[in-house]
Amino acid sequence: MKKIALSVLVIAGLFTSCGKKTEEAKAETIDLEALKGSTLNILAWEGYADASFTKAFEEKYGVTVKGTYFGSSDELVSKLQSGGGASYDVITPSSDVAGYIVSSDLVEPLATDELTAWATLSPVLKGMKDVQKDGKTYGMPFTWGPDYLIYNADVIKETPTSWNLFFDPKYKGKIAMYDDISSIYLAAQLLGYDKTDQSVLYNLTEEQLAACKAKLVELKPQVRKNWASAGELDNLFKNKEVVAAVGWPLTPANLNKQGMNIKAVIPSEGATGWIDRLMIVKGAKNKQLAQLWLEYVSQPAVMAQIAEFTQYYVSNPAANALLTPETQKLMDVASMDSMFKTLNFWQPVKNRKRYNEIWSEVKNQ
Amino acid sequence: MKKRSKYLLIFPLLLWLFLFLVLPYLFILTQSILATDDFGKVVYTLNFDSYIKIFTNPLYYETLTRTFIYAIIVALACIVLSLPLAYFIAFKVTKHKSFYYTLIVLPFWMSYIVRAYAWKIILGEQGVLNSFFMYSGVIKKPLSFILYSDFSVLLCLIYIFLPFVCIPIYTSFEQISKSLVEASKDLGANSWTTFRKIIFPLILPGVISGGTLALVLTLGDFLAASLLGGPNTLFISNIVQNLFGTSNDKPLGSAVGVVLLVLVFLLLEISSRYEKKHETQ
Repeated sequence: MKKIALSVLVIAGLFTSCGKKTEEAKAETIDLEALKGSTLNILAWEGYADASFTKAFEEKYGVTVKGTYFGSSDELVSKLQSGGGASYDVITPSSDVAGYIVSSDLVEPLATDELTAWATLSPVLKGMKDVQKDGKTYGMPFTWGPDYLIYNADVIKETPTSWNLFFDPKYKGKIAMYDDISSIYLAAQLLGYDKTDQSVLYNLTEEQLAACKAKLVELKPQVRKNWASAGELDNLFKNKEVVAAVGWPLTPANLNKQGMNIKAVIPSEGATGWIDRLMIVKGAKNKQLAQLWLEYVSQPAVMAQIAEFTQYYVSNPAANALLTPETQKLMDVASMDSMFKTLNFWQPVKNRKRYNEIWSEVKNQ
Repeated sequence: MKKRSKYLLIFPLLLWLFLFLVLPYLFILTQSILATDDFGKVVYTLNFDSYIKIFTNPLYYETLTRTFIYAIIVALACIVLSLPLAYFIAFKVTKHKSFYYTLIVLPFWMSYIVRAYAWKIILGEQGVLNSFFMYSGVIKKPLSFILYSDFSVLLCLIYIFLPFVCIPIYTSFEQISKSLVEASKDLGANSWTTFRKIIFPLILPGVISGGTLALVLTLGDFLAASLLGGPNTLFISNIVQNLFGTSNDKPLGSAVGVVLLVLVFLLLEISSRYEKKHETQ
């Protein structure tokens, strides 16, 4: 009897030591039958729970994936703080609040050694310290991308080179800004505050904030609408309400599929960007299913599907080769490393409350 | 025994009011005198900064006053539009009165959000209105001020709250005895004098209660401003929504809520006193 047990252990050891087999061994520890019929609740940025890649997961495990979208980092934090674990299993925070979420103990540490694709994920993203605490990792690198200057190329024929395009009298009332404190980062970039030190944008002094506010107030007559969700921005472009906006790659990706001619650039002043992680909410009801979701999403093939849909850069480099040549060209995958270096990625803002107040004050002016 | 069963009957209502009215109010009252850390976690120390901020930072007191002005505009516009409409249905319509009445209530059958979106389709740059004007050659360039502006927000609010004002006014009209109007005319008063001296005083309670309703509802509205408003449109409820959502500053949000609540209570008190005074006349 002992011998059998021992040999089982040895065999199990062999299984875990070689990559592909691990999944099957682990599948035995998770009771897949019991998971059937359950619902995985994802609280995510728009586009992170699209049917184009959730469907296969749903069919594989006989479960439902329910995505709830949030429109800003602050919205995510406030939802989590008012008892998120009861409603959501997986979240996708950006680099500006990820650290806070980890240090506030709102998420579970990840069993990274159980993720078969963990070793293949981008080392730079994995190495980031903001989602590590006491030697444990709390976030799986997911996607990253820029806050582009997006424009309707049918109206604006020349490729814009500066954010100052927003101030062009020709486009009065034709600009859309993001209804979020990141508009303050944009103003600060326009004022050149991050020339020498990227982190300045997230630690602006009162005087600098006042200058940013003045800049944003000056921009107001140009602005048609402050968009609160990517879907709203899509509609503003579609209905010809705006011709240029700050936005994410998702917007041109969506609109060009519908036959529009929307382009995106990073102007000379630079652009901010974001790094999104997947995290499992503390006290999540479907922790095992959440772990399976992370396992599923980290596979190159699924990452590629996500990139096809969102045109965001994904954390598994093996996914890039699986993209259609068209998407590879659109996303300029070849030069993604240099883009990664130029972007000023969102960092935690210590005085977030004040930033939010300034942004409201801009609207009140 | 009889008395006890009476209390038993009223108990569910009291429980309901306690759970869903008294408790939440107590909650926002206590929240409003607490503080937060930078990311909005509530810190349990007694702190009146939120109230001080509301009365010192223009963002809060200006928005509050502006919202009041908007609310007054909406209430007045609703009254002005309702008077002839309600008068028409009450006095001029003889057949199918209930049909006309249903027409006023009909918009209630649709969700507010759907109706607000409908205005986007009507007022947009390529919307129904602009396309029509462009086609008929009235304008050369689409009018852009009619959407994503204060204009579109007020238009939507007036449209949404019109039935709330029209119905009480209509009810007041209905209660006027026709013989009073006839008597006034017999005594030589023309239509305008009859309206001013006889009809209007009689419908005043309806006008006040309807107007107050529109006023209070506008004060608490954030949806119209966020869906149809431009970069300048900011209602006090948008600020409350921001404070509870994106800014994550529950104490300040609660404090704004308390201030708004007190103002609305005052308003209701004044309005009901005024209404009573005119009812007894």
